Amino acid sequence: MTRESEKIRSEIVAALPRLRRFARALTGQPADADDIVQIAVERALTRLDQFEPGTRLESWLMTIVRNAWIDEARARQRRAKVFADAELGEQVGDGGEAAAQAKLEVNEVYAAMQSLPDEQREAIALVCVEGLAYREASEVLGVPIGTLTSRLARGREALQRMLGDAP
Amino acid sequence: MTIDDATLMAFADGELTPEERAEIERALSEDAGLRQKLSAHQKLRAQLSGAYDPVLEEPAPERLLLAAQGARREAEVVDLSARRAARWSVREWGAMAASLAGGLIIGFGAMNAQAPLIAVTADGMNARGALEQALDTQLAADEPGAVRIGLSFRAHDGGYCRTFELTERATAGVACREDGVWSVAMTAAQPQQGDLRMAGAPAEVLSAVQTMIAGEPLDAEAEAQARDAGWVRAPD
Repeated sequence: MTRESEKIRSEIVAALPRLRRFARALTGQPADADDIVQIAVERALTRLDQFEPGTRLESWLMTIVRNAWIDEARARQRRAKVFADAELGEQVGDGGEAAAQAKLEVNEVYAAMQSLPDEQREAIALVCVEGLAYREASEVLGVPIGTLTSRLARGREALQRMLGDAP
Repeated sequence: MTIDDATLMAFADGELTPEERAEIERALSEDAGLRQKLSAHQKLRAQLSGAYDPVLEEPAPERLLLAAQGARREAEVVDLSARRAARWSVREWGAMAASLAGGLIIGFGAMNAQAPLIAVTADGMNARGALEQALDTQLAADEPGAVRIGLSFRAHDGGYCRTFELTERATAGVACREDGVWSVAMTAAQPQQGDLRMAGAPAEVLSAVQTMIAGEPLDAEAEAQARDAGWVRAPD
């Protein structure tokens, strides 16, 4: 193994927390999220030659995660929308009213995200969850910036409607 | 001046130039309605952070660390549900090995091209070559060559089992002495390079040992005695 590919591997390890968060935002399911991160990491390692040095490795990996999820979702002919399954409950933990309330709020956010059209959810996940710049996010999604921002605006509006206090 | 929703959103996302930002900030100071819209954006960001940021604090699962190291499990299937099986009993490993016989033959066949270490037979997988030799004679304390020996222990049926690591093949496993051969009960990927190299056996191997072991692992003295006695099943 070359020193360069070893370096990329350690960078991939360092990127795992963010890849997992991004995948969680896309899939809404902890187990699904880790499955697609695993698939994406395995794919990335077979395609290291396609990574352009000087560009952000994380953005490249997020592109692969996103494509892995598209493939996976297609293969499953769209997964049923399960909002608060047992696994999520375990992740969030329990213990007291505050925790129950926090869990409820987390579930609301997960549920609201899952109810968005895919194209809006992935735009929100990249920009509002992962903090990518518009240009980076538009490259990950392979769409012009104007398309990205209109998806973002619609996604935000829908989320604010679902999650806002106002009726 | 009026600030449209798209511009306000770009402001909230930190996309504007310093000049544009200054302009929006001026408008915000004069327009309560605009401030309210901005605070809705900020609130949504906070809600999303609250929901997803805790993932960053979770330790990455071992399987992802393994994947990032390029380690592949020999017995891993494509079916995602099987990836989730964190703890398998030996029985399940066996059943899976049987159902995957085709894949394993291919997998180990590739290995076998150079020096056969594991052969697939009608009864399961048996150690061959350097692996068989190491299981026969090598002690845990010995300098490892192609094979590193880990734990030796007695299984519930009284037979001896040993964990091993194929140092050049990023694979670890458990083999048990049965009818004069070392039957490989399971194998799993062994991370090999970088700082993440695990001390000892992968979790799957340890998990299998836990289900198989009767009592404690052999200490160095008992290990040497069992070897000298040819790994013959000790009388109860």
